[in-house]
Amino acid sequence: MRPADWLVLGASLALMVLYGLWRSRGSNSVHKYLLAGKTMPWYAMALSIMATQASAVTFISTTGQSYVDGMRFVQFYFGLPLAMIVLSMTAVPIFHRARVYTAYEYLEQRFDAKTRALVTVIFLIQRGLALGITLYAPAVVLTVILGWPDHAASVFMGVIAVLYTTLGGVKAVTWSHFQQMLIMTLGLAAALVCAVALLPSNVSFLDAVTLAGAAGRLNAVTTNVNWNDRYNLWSGLIGGMFLALSYFGCDQSQVQRYLTGKSVAQSRLSLLFNGMAKVPMQFFILFIGTMVFVFYVYQKPPVLFRPAELERIEGRADFAPVARRHDAAFESRRAAADRLIQARRAGDRALQQASLEDYRQAQLELEAARRQSVALVEKAGGPSGVNDTNYVFLTFVTHYLPAGLAGLVLAVIFGATMSAISAEMSALATVSMVDVYRRHFRKTGSDHHYLNVSRGLTLFWGCYAVLTAQLVKELGSLVETVNLLGSLFYGGMLGVFILAFYFPRVGARGAFYGVLAGEAAIFACYRFTDVAFLWYNVIGCAVVIATGLLLSPGQAVRPDLRRAG
Amino acid sequence: QPPVLGAWRRLYAAVLGWLLFLIVIFYLFTRRFTP
Repeated sequence: MRPADWLVLGASLALMVLYGLWRSRGSNSVHKYLLAGKTMPWYAMALSIMATQASAVTFISTTGQSYVDGMRFVQFYFGLPLAMIVLSMTAVPIFHRARVYTAYEYLEQRFDAKTRALVTVIFLIQRGLALGITLYAPAVVLTVILGWPDHAASVFMGVIAVLYTTLGGVKAVTWSHFQQMLIMTLGLAAALVCAVALLPSNVSFLDAVTLAGAAGRLNAVTTNVNWNDRYNLWSGLIGGMFLALSYFGCDQSQVQRYLTGKSVAQSRLSLLFNGMAKVPMQFFILFIGTMVFVFYVYQKPPVLFRPAELERIEGRADFAPVARRHDAAFESRRAAADRLIQARRAGDRALQQASLEDYRQAQLELEAARRQSVALVEKAGGPSGVNDTNYVFLTFVTHYLPAGLAGLVLAVIFGATMSAISAEMSALATVSMVDVYRRHFRKTGSDHHYLNVSRGLTLFWGCYAVLTAQLVKELGSLVETVNLLGSLFYGGMLGVFILAFYFPRVGARGAFYGVLAGEAAIFACYRFTDVAFLWYNVIGCAVVIATGLLLSPGQAVRPDLRRAG
Repeated sequence: QPPVLGAWRRLYAAVLGWLLFLIVIFYLFTRRFTP
């Protein structure tokens, strides 16, 4: 990092935070602090929805994933536009008409206080578990890449996010997201242009795409039917739709974004824009990872992208043959890539086929050397199965991007982390205030009192995020488990909202026990089957609906609370 | 109002069409560059 990088990083973050605070002045009532006074235009909500979902892990992990596994992860998002249409038709008009602050408040209107309390507790556990990890995951990578002391990155990002979220409320969150998305677009475009521009002068863009495809990195659509395969067209369309329905329809950190809209139409437009822009955006981010892969076809990559683990094994005698194997594979892959490009240009089919075989063989050899070094790390007393996917993109950015641009890309990572946790802490504070404090502890306070409680709860969840991010390191490999546990709750939540919207004869009893049965089914799938996680929500949701219908013989509810516009 | 409801339906259809277009483009992209 050079002075120009620090300058760009600092200026970008300052612009994002100060713009958010400036636009949030006058948030002096609960309605303005938690719902922006319902004044938000569709484009601000749309970018806020996208910024909330795009945490830093989206950038560093997704680019790393396409480097090692190709672009098939893009299919995970194919169900999202379908979910946006369904939510525009149902959740948006229903929530607007119910005049609620949170999605769970509506459940009491439709069912009863018990169901609202159950789903509120599920949300607080789920988001509470995820909040510290959202801050920790990128911070640990940034700490290593920037050479900062432990905890510095998470405290730095956490404190700034807590400050502007507590001071400005949901308006500050939304307008800082607006800036963050503009910075993100600039930063990612710069990263892609640089990855292609830094290739040798004899390698054109089309050559680079050919080389990425030859290594199997451009597998954007895979049509195989396999229940245990995480990402294919079908799991993406069906499983991805259910996950998006759960996340955007039942998770307050997203529902709060479109509840701030000035009308049903504005909120709908924000979701539909997200539905149209999200898939191309993810394709673009994954494509950057494939271009970084091609960059490292010509520029020797480290055997491992995690510096600390590489240092651990570099001095060992048994590392020398692994390093030689890696270097030889890199050289033969580069030579095969050159032959492949020349054969393609000359139209020589036979040479093209032969050099393609050599290229793929060298790639397999390179991957074998990397696996050997991973085993050596464990042998040397390091972590087992060390994964360096999250370090690939930032290593490229900090080592090869020109001065200033590296700072811009890092501003994207810092900003994305702060955007994600600010939305989450704001949502947690809203639910704690509306669904817990105002519902169960003090029902008749003044607006000023509730505003102060909202600020206090935002500060509480912010401090909780920073503190738990410091403790996450002690969890070690449990982090993934905690993250996965959070995603296991979505199916039950989605099921109860589907019951509320579409099954008027289902009453409170069916909804309450339906959620419990749905969650039990999901945990059973997780514990006893190999079904890919994208299907959990579908299964859990089906169990909630079936249980709800079984327990509700012909009850009726107030029709004004369920009719969609 | 009915005329506006029709406009929303056209917008939903446009989003569906856009998704279908992207899937077809990505599929052709995969077929073209994955030997």
